[in-house]
Amino acid sequence: MTEIHTEQILRGAGALAIGLALLLVPALFPSFLVYQFSLTLTYAIAILGLNLLMGFNGQISVAHGVFFAVGGYTTAIFMTRYGMNYLATLPIAAAISALVGFIVGIPALRWQGLPLAFITFGLAVLTPPLALKLEPITKGATGISLTKPTVPPWFPGNQDTFIYFVCLTGVALCVLIAWRLTHGDTGRSLRAARDNGLIAESLGVNLAKVRLAAFTTSAGFAGFGGGLFAIVNAYVSPESFQMTKSFDFLVGSIVGGITSISGAFIGALFIVFLPDWSADMNIALSGLIYGGAMVIMMLLARDGVVGLLGSLSRTLLARLRNARDNGDPIITKTRPAE
Amino acid sequence: MQLLLQQIVEGLASGAIYAALALALVLIYRATRIVNFAQGEMATLSVYMAWQLNQWGVPFVLCLIIVTAVSFMMGALTFRFMIRPVLGASDHTMVVICIGFFVGFEAVSLWFWGADPRAFPRIFPDDTWAIRGVRLTANNLGILVSLCIMTLGLSALFRFTRIGLAMRASAAEREKSALVGIPVETMLMLGWGLAASVGFIAAVLVAPSLFLSPPMMVSVVIYALAAATLGGWDSPAGAIVGGLVVGVAESLCATFIGFIGNELKVGVPFAVMAIVLLVRPQGLFGTAAVIRV
Repeated sequence: MTEIHTEQILRGAGALAIGLALLLVPALFPSFLVYQFSLTLTYAIAILGLNLLMGFNGQISVAHGVFFAVGGYTTAIFMTRYGMNYLATLPIAAAISALVGFIVGIPALRWQGLPLAFITFGLAVLTPPLALKLEPITKGATGISLTKPTVPPWFPGNQDTFIYFVCLTGVALCVLIAWRLTHGDTGRSLRAARDNGLIAESLGVNLAKVRLAAFTTSAGFAGFGGGLFAIVNAYVSPESFQMTKSFDFLVGSIVGGITSISGAFIGALFIVFLPDWSADMNIALSGLIYGGAMVIMMLLARDGVVGLLGSLSRTLLARLRNARDNGDPIITKTRPAE
Repeated sequence: MQLLLQQIVEGLASGAIYAALALALVLIYRATRIVNFAQGEMATLSVYMAWQLNQWGVPFVLCLIIVTAVSFMMGALTFRFMIRPVLGASDHTMVVICIGFFVGFEAVSLWFWGADPRAFPRIFPDDTWAIRGVRLTANNLGILVSLCIMTLGLSALFRFTRIGLAMRASAAEREKSALVGIPVETMLMLGWGLAASVGFIAAVLVAPSLFLSPPMMVSVVIYALAAATLGGWDSPAGAIVGGLVVGVAESLCATFIGFIGNELKVGVPFAVMAIVLLVRPQGLFGTAAVIRV
């Protein structure tokens, strides 16, 4: 069996295992943890969007909390003001965030690199006061309370479980889209634009179009996640969308691995459970770990946890093969970083 | 008219603080092509140290002197241990690292001193004078004078000393400076240290009016980013002018545009930044980057 085959099988098995584990969550954990896992899934969608943008397309955004907020508010407003079904609001949330992403994305074409970081950083700081100020729409500091979706009679489980499965369906949809986008021609153009814009353009990639599309899609993902978040949390207020939310997503993305789809889930688990766990010891601990994780990951493990696992498994495979063949000293094949 | 003048005076005073922080950002940018988003959080930590020393009974002025030196060390060590290993990496990496500092330094302040705001003593007396109805406070004047002294001091350092020349050389031409025997990395380290001290002074000036709390400088950083963008990232003089302009613009917009008011003030630097980046990306005094194919 060649190396590629073993690796593909391992990857497939890994994905299958994660999928099964996700399905089993409601059976294994108590209700409040199921709620937290639902939150994790909504964050994972936003991080997935950020990975598409940063990891696969090389554009910086420090403002994904903003698109998340736009999605959250859109869902909340359409549910309460227009009495829409919660599921029907999700495409709208994604579309409106994508529109905002598009509007930010157009000037961002000129602002690659640092300027884009300034602007998105500014957006992240500006959003909470803006949400307070737009009181007629957002109800200011009071926030908007939502009714949690009712469990349909055919569903064998309680409300938290039902919401969890709604999120899981949303996640499955997003993973499918992300997988399609990062493979094949689209993925190649995305990565070409990231690796060398000039060469990409000379090979026929429309740089402006690809970058704008990436920004729009990425914001749409974050908005979709935000919409689901509003449903899970049943309440939105400027408090839910502080500037730190944007940083949280960045941390999640970096820790999981910016060029992977599964990394988004690891990152989301990290940003949901770490603050809870560490707040018992000291409220500042999570910030310290976040900051440390970002710096250390950049210094030592650029591809995040998923990248680490990948190189670890490759080393092990090579070791196994060598042991079997009783052959040459260990040579691990280096693969170009995705 | 009186209101207008009054707002300009207030704007200049807050602008001086933005200018000082922008100056710190520009110092670091010129030396290492990094925009240190965490400059404000590092400065906040320094101010906490000064506050703590003062609480322990050290005279206020002595606290400021000690902590200026400590900040210098903090900046230099940050560079040495966390920036130098990745020097020359992509903007992407640097932004993530600096956001990491941002979150990390804020957490350190929170860890030791908690979230409750604390009063920080004023350096300048409480005198006020009225000239034709425009109120001048000793605090505002003091801030402006401090900015002037700091600017003159830094200009003198860069222009008239060997070490200043070496720092400028390292910032402009890293490899060539190394060839003529300048210890480039030491110079870059000095640049980071100097920036941390300058940031500390900015934070000390602003702390009495904002109250000392871990996220104190978060919005100030946005103003400083806007100031540096407006002035041009490689121009210290531009940072000063940019800071003052942003300060006055903020004060005028908050007073005369109803929708902005006090709550959305932070939208002003954002707008300044967006407009400058669209119209003149290199800023007023910056040099445009030339891309050679």
